[in-house]
Amino acid sequence: MHEFALATQIVERVREFVDSHRGDRDVLKVRLWVGELAGVEPEQLRFCYNSITRETPLQHSVLEITMAPAQVRCANCRYQGSPQYLNGAWARARLATLRCPRCGKSVEATVGHECELKSIEFVEAKLSVPATDFNHAVTKATPARRAV
Amino acid sequence: MTTAPPVAVIETSPQEIYDIELVRELLEANAALARDNRALLDRYGITAVDIMGGIGSGKTTLISMIAQKLKERTAVVMVNGDATTSTDLDSIAEQGIPVVQIATFNACHLDANLIGKALARIELAKTGLLLIENIGNMICPPEFPVGARARVVVISVTEGPYVVKKHPHMFLGATLVVINKIDLADAMDVRVVDLMRDVHRLKPDISVIPTSCRTGAGVEEFAVALLDI
Repeated sequence: MHEFALATQIVERVREFVDSHRGDRDVLKVRLWVGELAGVEPEQLRFCYNSITRETPLQHSVLEITMAPAQVRCANCRYQGSPQYLNGAWARARLATLRCPRCGKSVEATVGHECELKSIEFVEAKLSVPATDFNHAVTKATPARRAV
Repeated sequence: MTTAPPVAVIETSPQEIYDIELVRELLEANAALARDNRALLDRYGITAVDIMGGIGSGKTTLISMIAQKLKERTAVVMVNGDATTSTDLDSIAEQGIPVVQIATFNACHLDANLIGKALARIELAKTGLLLIENIGNMICPPEFPVGARARVVVISVTEGPYVVKKHPHMFLGATLVVINKIDLADAMDVRVVDLMRDVHRLKPDISVIPTSCRTGAGVEEFAVALLDI
């Protein structure tokens, strides 16, 4: 996939949000949800994200990527749930297929192609703690107050 | 998929960390353009087929042959994605098929935006079947739908016995698979049935058509399948 373009989009969306609110803010964490069929490589994405956020208000932020398992639906036998996976001789990593685990016909993926920016965590910049204390700050805030 | 949900911020005391839900589908921009393309194509009753496959799998030769076969039956128009040359375009234009080339230079796949621009250059009212030749690449085209009604993956026996296993995502998103150059199967020591079995392990009901542009085997079947999509 296109991890650099994706990282750029993430940064644009986060900055759009941060800029639309008064006051400086330091972003601590950006949570991303990636479907296992979306073709996104998390390691490359994290590398790109860290490269382009250097010396920006996002420089201390962590990109947290959750890989979301696919869900499939079978038109033939009405199965709904996890896909059938191939592994071993086929792939070192588990590989989701579009074969119905129950009847063996083709299924349709209902979940798995998403790539969603889920949420961001930030502090007001003027009161933000030094970068070295970020871990402490994150721990202290758990559970964070959550916007609905 | 959610595009722009409202963001509600609950104000807390300044020392606290804010945790804001901000649901944004990042692949939505291309998907939305693909839907626009599809709506436009449907309005004109055009069947668009996105033909993907590796470099040298025989996409252009196949397209040239099916365009030749189908041009009496429907108005065939071709969009060709090619990094630098117009070599492919010239040979097909010689047959009287209208062609639009998208010079992609550094890009490695076509996307819905590029196809939208190409559609603006086509006489839609005079188009029945739009054959879109994607850029030779077995990795990223499936993640960028262009608005076509069908997505065809062309592989060839010269890509070796593991071509399906090595590129599973190409096949998960396909509607039809062509295994080309079957006249070279023995020379390559590749069994066409093995490639078919691999495709069907990923997607059991998909049509797989073996072809050879040299002998003409399967080309008519492929052409007819495109009319039925």
